[in-house]
Amino acid sequence: MFRNYSINLNYSTIFINYSVVSVNCCFYFNKICYLIVNFIYYPIFVKISLPKPNSNYNKTKTNMMKNVLFSLLCVLMFISPTFAQQGKTITGTVTDQATGQGLPGVTVVVKGTSVGASTEVNGKYTINAPSDGATLVFSFIGYSNIERAIGGATTINVAMGVDAKQLGEVVITGVGVATDKRKVAISVESVSAKDLPQAPSASIDQALIGKIPGAQITSTSGSPGADVNILLRGINTINRGTGPMILVDGVQMGATNLSTIDLSTIDRVEVIQGAAAATIYGAQGANGVIQLFTKKGQRGKINVDFSSSVSANTYINEGGVRKAQYHAFATDANNNVIGTSGQPLVLDPATLTYSENVIYNPLDVTSQLNKAYDANLQYYDHYKSFFQTANTFNNSVGISGGGEKVDFAVTVSNNKQESNIRNNGNVSRTNLTSNVGIDLYKGLTLRSITQLAYTKNTIKFEDRDIMFSLNNARPFANFEQKDTDGDYGLYFGDAIGVNHWNPLYYGQYLNQDENKIDVIQNFNLNYKFPKFLEFDVRYGVNYQRREREFLIGNQINNNNATETQGWYSEYNSGAPTGEIINYSYNNVFQNFLPKATFITDFQEDFGLSVPLRTTTQVGFDWRSQTRSEYFTAGLGLPDFTPVTAAQASTYRILTDYTEPFVTYGYLVTQRFDYSDFVGISGGFRSDYSSAFGQGSKPFTFPRGDAYFRLSGLNFWETSKMGTIMPELKFRAAYGQAGIQPQPFDRYPTLSTRSLGSSTGFYLPSTQSNPDLSVEVSEEIEVGADMVFSLLKNTSWLNDVTLSATYWDRSTNNSIYNVDVAPSTGIGKLKNNAFSIGSHGFQASLTAALFNNNNFNWNFTTNFGKQTSMITSTSGQEIVVLSSAGSTNYVLRAGEKIGQLYGYISLHDVTARMPNGEYFIPEAQQEDYEVASNGYVVNKATKQPYFSANMYSFGDPNPDFNMSFVNDFTFKNFLNFSFQFDWVHGSHLYNQTKEWMYRDGIHSDYEKPITINGETGAWTAFYRGVYAQRQANGTKDYFYEDASFVRLRNVSLGIELNKIIDLPAFRKLQLVFTGRNLLTFTDYTGMDPEVSSGTNNSAFDRGTDHNTMPNYKAYQIGLNIGL
Amino acid sequence: MKKVYILLISLIASGTFISCEDQLDVENPNEPGLTSAQTESGVISLAQGAVYVNGFRDLKYYDGIPGYFWSGAVGFHELMGDVIGEEAANVFGNQIGAPDYIVLDNGTQVLNPNAPNKQKELIKQINLNSNAGSNTLFYEWAYMYSLNNSCNTVLETVEHVSFTGDAEAKKNTIKAWAYFWKGYAYSRIGSMYIAGLINDVSATTNANYVTKEQVIAEASSNFDEAAALLSGLAGNAGYTSTINSLIPAFNQIGHGGALSSDMWIRNINTMKARNILVNTTVQNMTAAQWQEVLELTNNGIKATDYVFTGRANESGDLLSASAGTVSAKTTGNPGQGTTYKISERLIQDFKPGDQRFANNFNQLANPWRGESSRGNAFNTRFELVDGGNGLDGVIILGSKTPGEYELFLAGSYEENELMKAEANIYLGNLEEGLKLIDAVRAYQGAGLAPVAATGLSMEAALEELRRERRIGLLFRGLSFYDARRWGVINDVSQGGGRTGAVVVSSAGQVNTNATINYNFAPYWDVPDNELVYNAPAAGSAPVKVDL
Repeated sequence: MFRNYSINLNYSTIFINYSVVSVNCCFYFNKICYLIVNFIYYPIFVKISLPKPNSNYNKTKTNMMKNVLFSLLCVLMFISPTFAQQGKTITGTVTDQATGQGLPGVTVVVKGTSVGASTEVNGKYTINAPSDGATLVFSFIGYSNIERAIGGATTINVAMGVDAKQLGEVVITGVGVATDKRKVAISVESVSAKDLPQAPSASIDQALIGKIPGAQITSTSGSPGADVNILLRGINTINRGTGPMILVDGVQMGATNLSTIDLSTIDRVEVIQGAAAATIYGAQGANGVIQLFTKKGQRGKINVDFSSSVSANTYINEGGVRKAQYHAFATDANNNVIGTSGQPLVLDPATLTYSENVIYNPLDVTSQLNKAYDANLQYYDHYKSFFQTANTFNNSVGISGGGEKVDFAVTVSNNKQESNIRNNGNVSRTNLTSNVGIDLYKGLTLRSITQLAYTKNTIKFEDRDIMFSLNNARPFANFEQKDTDGDYGLYFGDAIGVNHWNPLYYGQYLNQDENKIDVIQNFNLNYKFPKFLEFDVRYGVNYQRREREFLIGNQINNNNATETQGWYSEYNSGAPTGEIINYSYNNVFQNFLPKATFITDFQEDFGLSVPLRTTTQVGFDWRSQTRSEYFTAGLGLPDFTPVTAAQASTYRILTDYTEPFVTYGYLVTQRFDYSDFVGISGGFRSDYSSAFGQGSKPFTFPRGDAYFRLSGLNFWETSKMGTIMPELKFRAAYGQAGIQPQPFDRYPTLSTRSLGSSTGFYLPSTQSNPDLSVEVSEEIEVGADMVFSLLKNTSWLNDVTLSATYWDRSTNNSIYNVDVAPSTGIGKLKNNAFSIGSHGFQASLTAALFNNNNFNWNFTTNFGKQTSMITSTSGQEIVVLSSAGSTNYVLRAGEKIGQLYGYISLHDVTARMPNGEYFIPEAQQEDYEVASNGYVVNKATKQPYFSANMYSFGDPNPDFNMSFVNDFTFKNFLNFSFQFDWVHGSHLYNQTKEWMYRDGIHSDYEKPITINGETGAWTAFYRGVYAQRQANGTKDYFYEDASFVRLRNVSLGIELNKIIDLPAFRKLQLVFTGRNLLTFTDYTGMDPEVSSGTNNSAFDRGTDHNTMPNYKAYQIGLNIGL
Repeated sequence: MKKVYILLISLIASGTFISCEDQLDVENPNEPGLTSAQTESGVISLAQGAVYVNGFRDLKYYDGIPGYFWSGAVGFHELMGDVIGEEAANVFGNQIGAPDYIVLDNGTQVLNPNAPNKQKELIKQINLNSNAGSNTLFYEWAYMYSLNNSCNTVLETVEHVSFTGDAEAKKNTIKAWAYFWKGYAYSRIGSMYIAGLINDVSATTNANYVTKEQVIAEASSNFDEAAALLSGLAGNAGYTSTINSLIPAFNQIGHGGALSSDMWIRNINTMKARNILVNTTVQNMTAAQWQEVLELTNNGIKATDYVFTGRANESGDLLSASAGTVSAKTTGNPGQGTTYKISERLIQDFKPGDQRFANNFNQLANPWRGESSRGNAFNTRFELVDGGNGLDGVIILGSKTPGEYELFLAGSYEENELMKAEANIYLGNLEEGLKLIDAVRAYQGAGLAPVAATGLSMEAALEELRRERRIGLLFRGLSFYDARRWGVINDVSQGGGRTGAVVVSSAGQVNTNATINYNFAPYWDVPDNELVYNAPAAGSAPVKVDL
């Protein structure tokens, strides 16, 4: 294979079956040529030993390149240089006490000297020992130190145990340098993969629900592929929502959704929640950071893992939502529902339309919803017809391992999830993840992490639109019926309700095909000098391309469309001739982060008696993003199939949009740790951005923190307190972080609109503002971390960890599009319009409740409480609109964010307004009474009373949220765990119900009420709830307590290979998982967890407007490890 | 080892190369900058967009049920003018035109079923800033001030433009365009709101609210400004090419076209006559005012003149064919999802044998009956036919086919002639007036026997005029103005309302002698969205109507 080339190649055993596409770069030093070879799927680092180059270096290099490239078509080589060791040596292996495997990176020092070494990948070390009388100290972060006298030995092997007193582990996020959690002065939450449940969606975002103390992570929709809502600490911006920054292995993932990331490839997640911790992320850190760490291969062995699961998902209807089984329409003597002709309503079988409307007088004081659908009209259970039990399939294969100088992990997985709406398509996501680390040279490592995801979405129609169509259809519609030509009808006439549509019509004429590719590629080159200095360079590129084709077929031959002059169209308003719309989205995000860290230890490095360590970080951070959208529409399709946009009669480019964005900044932080008990740090981050007002002015964000670790003082360990509480730390941090304006917020432009053959310029109704500032969030957090060892020498309560943090923060220049007087001709102006303040408390308690050889019981509870309010506005109130429907929010100084305003009902005829006056004037009070259901109603009209003015309903956000996780392990083969989530004090505006009240569809209408001594299912009351003061207006009647307790997860795992002797298997585990199986709530809608607002909206979080509920899932999975 | 350092240092240093400050100067590559309008073609684009987009389409609030200006804001007029009814509650569409009560033939009084159950109370209750896009009163104000502001921007921009050819003529054409539409905006504001603002600088405002009369005076002065600019442009090639570019090609059909400067001046005169007519009740019209209307309309739009029209194209650039106008939202079977339902009171205003009725309306097998908790007057036995029933030479009042329906944006020949007719009748030239009514009927293909020279009394002549304004000017946004000046919207106790009305009851019975008490507010308060962000300065005219 290398016949023509006189290069000395050693190669290891990894065979890669991909073709080389290009060589990206090449550099040469120390007899080794390094190539980054770009294979089809991901780049791989290659190094080759060569003779020392001669003076004709470039020529040699070029020849070598050519030759090597050819040679590398199939084979990947790793060559390890050897390093000679000199002097009297002691060797040995350091292993993990628990696993028996070698521990790499353990520091071995001759006590009292600066002579040291560190263990290699397999745990082996070699050290020069000056004398037999010396002692070796083995230390590794997270493990207890071990000291061994050398004596006459030349080989010293040690097994290190995990430090029981430690708070957990090492964290990076917000600190920048891997730091023992005991010495971190900020609150960093971390969750490792073993604690993440196998959610059917196989996505990391779903798995995080309930796992992060303080964070509100909610699953707001049960549609396949739906994103979760994430609110970490408080609402800091209205302009950009609550979504935190997502980092993958230190690099921002700016283009890909969190829900795209395959759960099985994540090793660990760290979360920092506020500005105090996020200053090092500068102008994008204010909403907090979620950092994902990808699984790495373990050096020295190859593991193969297969996992497969299937789940059955049923939509949740906890409130028992259904349509009324009775009606109050005018009927004839045979109970036939009649029209104004006096004749029974008939559905024309040719056009699928009712020729007449029903006669329905809901405000008639005698009208009751008590007639059965038992004559010409029948009751159809639309939920039964349109909802289905959907399946989710998950499959993954992973190979991981490594040699002396390399580690790798490659996983391929697929998740396919069907819609809970019948025939509405599915979402299928395939992920390929690889994580390859190479030790290029002593201290120099290169890591390449690649995630590729391909998502195919064939969901025909938004679940929410289908829900709306269904929930606004009276139950006598037989949507399954086809016309005489075999087609479905879209609109059956006003008799069914003017807001109904038949989802089966969509099914017949609509097709959606969306293909999305996500690439997340991170490179990390790290060089650790033997002492003091570490260089770390990261570069990441995150690319997303989404192509969506939406095909609306020609409906011209549909009798119902012709009859009703109604059809489905997006842009073709002229005729039911269909259209093809292509949506193309591109998003490229790059992040480049070089960083230098300088660490000194005054004792070890300088021989001083001061136990002081210093850490200095200087970093640079460059981010660039280019988003583009290109939408086209081909209007007017022929009625044959298949059709393409080329056959459309009109072709139009709807959108051609590009959004560039650049930001960069630098970071300086300095940290001092004195002994083990006190540490202080300070620094700043300064950022430039293309989105800042006036362009080039940087914003600087300062920070500082300190911790005091009582348990680090000498007396503590021996004191009584120290035995009960081996760890106690107090900490405080202050910091600022920012939220950037949107890329074009500062550029006033004209908009364009086609006017036939010409183009008009117009002034956009929302105007940009060249003077915008970054939104700056400022935070102080104080906290304590402690470990208790309560019942020493028993199996109970030996390791109880409690962490608690209080935080307080404010954003002083939050951006919003603020109303301008219409007489200016401007609708809204972007402005740094108001200030927001929030504060909260979070805590987590983890406890090894019981622990012996046969049985372990671990318990975790997380708690979070937070509230946000508007502290000031730049002027008048700011009105914001919910995307959910006809519900308005108002932002006023001194009020909570996200409150809804509306008309309030009364429960006492003599209730008074805040100004002391009666709601109902005294003279009219005798016309009213409290009905049997507790509402004040007018005795004559039977309609409820609603206030003339609008009042705040209060804060819909939860008072607190908690989760409880119990995990039991029996004899190493049986694992049982369950998690309850409790969200308390949250509220939802049940807009779904309000719409269902419109046409008398909701089953509430069947509930009898006693008014003025008469009992009946009075339609006047229910219709009055909808229509009084404002039809579909916002009323407290529909504002409901949506607190809930949910059995989020229950899982039983059986490791068969530990019951039966199956030496071929490292793991053979059968897992039964249930998700969302139980919910306890008073909410009368389907699911108290949903929200219809824009994902991660800052204010629009409290409305349920026909949102697809979450689903209950029963899942069975098999995990095989070889 | 040094090479390792060199490598790392150069990698880190590369950061400083890739991040020079020039990078930060990211322009918006998608949309033209403000200076793009400062060219000949740019300012024409701006002048076009100023009217057809800023004026009638693009606002911060939008609700698809009423739709944009020509179906929504104008729709509210037609609802209050009892040309159409609406069941949908979006933007209070079902309530804005619901009469206080109806007395059926059998004496039953059917109250407005909504809460509040009086339109006058409703418009006070809903005029809140927090109501945002649900405030019915917001739209016409905001559209018209948007139009005024964009025209101010055109006037400011045109001063920076170097034109080719006859620069002065082109510039004056564009200025006339801007002044005309400013005049139009003030006309609508002064004809609907109790007070307004006079604002000649772009993107800013003032807090000196003036009376509606002063707003109408400002409309006239803008119209006069436009007319003065146009008077020197007759036959000018620069004018012709500019006006041809300003009016989108899809509007240059039928009565729409690149009007000559003389035609345009006549259009202005018709608008000025309208401003007098619609803002004075017939009782209060003086002979001098009638004389002024007569003079203006004598110099108003002729039968062969081009006027300002709007048409739908397939992509709905200005108007959606199926939903962009009041007509489109009324066309079709009322039971199959049309937003607006044709009013029984409109139908009863057709004279027997009117071909316009035969060509445009079908009677339903059974009446459409809306939900009785939403309205008391919207039930109907009729549907507006899509594309007409095929009668030759008879006007088509509704079509959802792109380009087929012609929307009149400002004045029309029929409106001019009927104003002239009314002035003549009130000035005692009865027969002259009736002839004009006959002419309008003939123009639209009504096929009705002439009423001139039939010896009609003054009262009968005015009834002919009333009916013809209702039918001949259908969907031209004038019905509410007429109802107001005729006193129909007044409370029955003040001589208002309508007797002998046809009403289909909630049970489907046809009443032919019902009494309707509309009792609507004659003018609207300034929208709260304006008042919250631009509180009236001391000395301002009252901004709220005393009802």
